[in-house]
Amino acid sequence: MRKPLLTALLAFGLSTVPALAEWTYIDGGGKTITLPEAPKRIVAHANAAAALIPLGIRPVAIYVDSPVADDMSLKGLDLTGIEIIGEAWGEIDIEKLAAIDPDLIVAEFWPLEKAYSGMEASAAADATLIEGIAPVGGPAQGDSIVTLIADYEALAASLGADLGKPEIAAAKVRFEAARDAFKTGVAAKPDFQALAVWAGTDALYVASPDGSSELSDFKAWGLDIVTPETADDRGYWETLSWENADKYQPDLVMVDDRSATTIDTAKAQPTWTTIKAAAAGAVTNWPAFWMRNYKVYAEQLEHLTGVIAATDEHLSER
Amino acid sequence: MSQALPHLSRSRYLAAGIVLLALLLLAIALLSLAVGARAIPLGEVIDTLLNPEATGTNATIMRDLRLPRTLLGLVVGAALGLSGAIMQGVTRNPLADPGLLGIHAGAALFVVLGIALLGLASLTAYVWLGFLGAAMATIIVYAVASLGREGATPVKLALAGAAVTAAFSSVTSGILLTNAVTLDAFRFWQVGSLAGRGNDILFGVTPFLALGIVLALITGRLLDAMALGDDIARGHGQRVMLSRALAAVAWIILSGGATAALGPIAFVGLIVPHAARAITGPSYRWILPYSALLAPILLLGADIVGRVVAPPGELQVGIVTAAIGAPLFVLLVRRRRLAEL
Repeated sequence: MRKPLLTALLAFGLSTVPALAEWTYIDGGGKTITLPEAPKRIVAHANAAAALIPLGIRPVAIYVDSPVADDMSLKGLDLTGIEIIGEAWGEIDIEKLAAIDPDLIVAEFWPLEKAYSGMEASAAADATLIEGIAPVGGPAQGDSIVTLIADYEALAASLGADLGKPEIAAAKVRFEAARDAFKTGVAAKPDFQALAVWAGTDALYVASPDGSSELSDFKAWGLDIVTPETADDRGYWETLSWENADKYQPDLVMVDDRSATTIDTAKAQPTWTTIKAAAAGAVTNWPAFWMRNYKVYAEQLEHLTGVIAATDEHLSER
Repeated sequence: MSQALPHLSRSRYLAAGIVLLALLLLAIALLSLAVGARAIPLGEVIDTLLNPEATGTNATIMRDLRLPRTLLGLVVGAALGLSGAIMQGVTRNPLADPGLLGIHAGAALFVVLGIALLGLASLTAYVWLGFLGAAMATIIVYAVASLGREGATPVKLALAGAAVTAAFSSVTSGILLTNAVTLDAFRFWQVGSLAGRGNDILFGVTPFLALGIVLALITGRLLDAMALGDDIARGHGQRVMLSRALAAVAWIILSGGATAALGPIAFVGLIVPHAARAITGPSYRWILPYSALLAPILLLGADIVGRVVAPPGELQVGIVTAAIGAPLFVLLVRRRRLAEL
């Protein structure tokens, strides 16, 4: 009796030893990635890097949708020693990527496109070719930056990050305080309404709060954001001819800050000031689509809370 | 006398037609001030027209958005019509339009280079790049076509234009295929639009286009002589090379300026001269002024349609002219034999 049991235990033990070191990750697209051990050499999309670096996971290389200097998510991050293998949307240097020989490529999953950042169907980068070099995975784009950061925290922890470090904990505490102050500030102005836009020379694009994670957060925390009447087929934007720029009259206009020239484009339009808030200077930035860590989220929330406090909630009567 | 009379009455009839078209153009221009993505009551439109000091959102829209847009449509429309007519006259090619002879390709290449290498992003910057590219392309086409004994004959011009277009377009495609950011900025220009073009672009291109329009209108007699063929024109004492060079200068300025201002606009420069010819007969002394009036009617008309079909947004005029232009062109081709040039 004893001998077979011992054999069975031994056999069990032998089979579980490699299984203990095995690294498994179920990503935002529902894909399961299994590697013999936790990946060390990581290549990340800029937004993923912006989430991982503050959590102590430094990628060996990143690819960016624009020149590094123009990427809002990377601002203020120390990129020393990190190789740049792409500086335009959808462009990843495959040869450099192959030479780096990464264990894992971290990029966010876009549910609508069913693709990873920079590897969308219309991008120049060939997803199949990249998947052949290393598995691609990452958190899914959703309706909250907070859950996105939480997904990154879980990924970082599985990669060996120590989330208990004081600076990581402090960033989260500061964020939570900023969020609570935001809620209080918004609650104090029940009639306040904001409008989020991107300005082109051809038209004014009104963002749907449901099409952007941070706007969804702001809305969930009590900020009244204009929901466009007729958004496009994917529900992101309503296109307004500049003749109809005054269709919505909010108390505050938030302008997409991914490009510094967007606000100048807006100001150059003769009908920009037909939005009373714009005429009154009640305009601030909308940190659009790029926030990925608690530090910048706290900073942006603190800024926005200050702006809301200083803005007249009855600027535009509706 | 029996022969002079019908000729005289035909001239009168054509002159009356010019007046009629001018009135129609005026009506379209007024319509362009009155109609847009935003509905402005007619009473307010008239008030604003009569009172330049009027204030308010609707007055701002009419004065600062619709007025420059309408004026630009008038000038650029006339330029497109005239340059199309001149090209068809000089090259004796019924399919000649500002896209032939490499003008669109040259303008596009320079705009793309400006975006990709210099990081330029404003419509005003594109204007000068487009102009430069159009002029460069035409000069190369003209120089290549002028090689050899006969000089720049219509066939050689068309061939050189096709070759330069192919060469420039391949470089443009090469840049766009490898640079998604440039493609993103470029496609807004490539559609061709009157929206978002303010006074800066209007004042920038109008002096050039005005010069080109004057130059174009005086080439009518030269084009009539050239329509007989180079040898007969020479026999009538015309300096063919000089005439062709003068016409070329006019079309560089006109189509270069038009493309620079709005981006490439399809079909207007192609179909308007045919429509004009259908009314006036083969004389360029009439085709040119008719083209100069018909083209802005078509361009502004298409723009007005584009403003109201996609509320609360707009459709770019380049898309509307392509949509209207293609069936119109088929109709013209079926009604008239194009070989009559």
